[in-house]
Amino acid sequence: MRPGDGADVLVGMLGAGKRFGRRWVVRDLNFSLGAGAMLGLVGANGGGKTTTLRMLAGLLRPDCGAGIVLGHDLSRPNRRMRRDIGYMSQRLSLYPELTIAENLAFRAAVLGLNDRRTTIGEAVDRYGLDGVLRTRFDRLSGGWARRAQFAAVTLASPKLLLLDEPTAGLDVASKRAIWGWLTDFARAGHVVIISTHDLVEAQVCPTILHYADGLAEGPMRPEALIARTGSLDLEEAVLRLAGRPS
Amino acid sequence: MATLLTISAVARVECLRLLRSPTSFTLLLLVPALQILLFGYAIRPSVAAVAVALAGPTAGQGDVVRLARDAGMRVVGHDLRPGGAESLVRAGKVAVGIELPTGPFAPVTAIVDSSDPNLTAAAEARIEAIYWHALAQRNDVADFGPRLRVERLYNPAARADWAFLPALVGAIMMISMLMLGTLGMARERELGTWEALIALPIGRAALIAGKLAPLAVIGALQGVVVLAVGHWVFDLPLRGSVMSLAAILPIFAVAHLALGQALAARARTQLAALQGAVAFYLPAMLLSGFLYPFATLPPWAQRIGELFPLTHFIRASREATLRGGDAGTVLAHGVPIALFAVVMLALSAMQQRVQLD
Repeated sequence: MRPGDGADVLVGMLGAGKRFGRRWVVRDLNFSLGAGAMLGLVGANGGGKTTTLRMLAGLLRPDCGAGIVLGHDLSRPNRRMRRDIGYMSQRLSLYPELTIAENLAFRAAVLGLNDRRTTIGEAVDRYGLDGVLRTRFDRLSGGWARRAQFAAVTLASPKLLLLDEPTAGLDVASKRAIWGWLTDFARAGHVVIISTHDLVEAQVCPTILHYADGLAEGPMRPEALIARTGSLDLEEAVLRLAGRPS
Repeated sequence: MATLLTISAVARVECLRLLRSPTSFTLLLLVPALQILLFGYAIRPSVAAVAVALAGPTAGQGDVVRLARDAGMRVVGHDLRPGGAESLVRAGKVAVGIELPTGPFAPVTAIVDSSDPNLTAAAEARIEAIYWHALAQRNDVADFGPRLRVERLYNPAARADWAFLPALVGAIMMISMLMLGTLGMARERELGTWEALIALPIGRAALIAGKLAPLAVIGALQGVVVLAVGHWVFDLPLRGSVMSLAAILPIFAVAHLALGQALAARARTQLAALQGAVAFYLPAMLLSGFLYPFATLPPWAQRIGELFPLTHFIRASREATLRGGDAGTVLAHGVPIALFAVVMLALSAMQQRVQLD
């Protein structure tokens, strides 16, 4: 079987892995996702979550196995594939010297959007950025910066959304807002893959991949992992799998 | 006591950080050691490097050739027809041409290329010494022999600032563009904006062109400003094809910007990238003819010097300003700069493809 063989599979990995030098950062990635899927990547630091997201974004090539994203082979990432992917890295990575309006305009131009003014206007309304539109990105608080970054990443309404710890360091209200938007995105038929250390939030995802020592287990429902480990919640389950008492 | 403990703790951490950063450690200790060896052997200016040609009546040339060689100069042409030595100086083939007198009252004329007086000043003094030595050997106080006339081309007053300014345009641009290319890219990588950028549907060529174009314009403007200040404030003559030099400016800027980007793509931090840039521009300044005359470098050092765009830029700049070179002459010096730029652009593009791996 090849990943993505099914007609409705948009993202698929079959035995994919990545190594840096001799060290395998992640191995044996096996999953396939269709439209509307929302997958949470959970597990300890250094488990391979970020590397998985980077491979799916076409920033790293798998060293073994195969992967297909939106019909494109991950061993040959290309520009067309990137047009349909929204990748948000862990760091706040909009241009700090530019205002939010300038950052969004740059994204819209690079993505080749037709009606840039309208698209940007819609994003500004959706994420409530009107008050900070003329503010430099480096002058925003963490919550507003994430909000702006989210707006930039979703500007072209990408078919696949890859987010690396999008709620790290945010207050409860900002976290809720972001998870609300992510759920809306998935409901609208987009594929959403999120790496997170917040295991309470992770349970919003219908399926999760659990990472430990470079091996990914799943996808599975969070409840399945909790039940298999005989834990009370996901946090305890992950701690038990990491060999640490809760 | 507590303060001493604190200082030693901070110092220990700094030492450990340096020791565990192989790039910084190598660049801080190994590169300077190599540079001292390199420059110690390469920078040995001497009159022997000055190429001299002789023209005029054949009789008597043998004595002059012998005297010039005894004085340590490199005689590369003799027995030339009258005017032949001057032609070679004007063509840039030799630095000094000696025209022997063709008539009883004509002087001995030494034509000196003073576009780089650092090179020719010592030779000029040596020629005068030879002249007075020859007169003294005549042992005839009644016959002073032919007069010696020294004719300085391009820079009659042998102004050091005139010699320095055309080269300074290139040196300033080289350092600024290297820094811009290196730090700009290294900062983007540290900030994380680079990762976000390459996740967007932008081709490598478009990315490089978009990044370099505004910086190349700034670099070219910088060159024009330095040249204009040289002209208006220091009276630097603009005798040659300045427009051709202006055409070379953005290419020269791109060459160093692309090199800076390639260095930054390999380096993990801004500091390491910066050290890489310094490791490039120090030898470039020493082996290009900027600080020491190119002709005085040993052949192996000249071969290394030919690799630096600054070497060719200095030649183009002196042609366009002091020497009055035409468009063809000036642009010919731009060809190696353009080749360097192409290689660096290719290198930069390759580095960007693999950089997340």
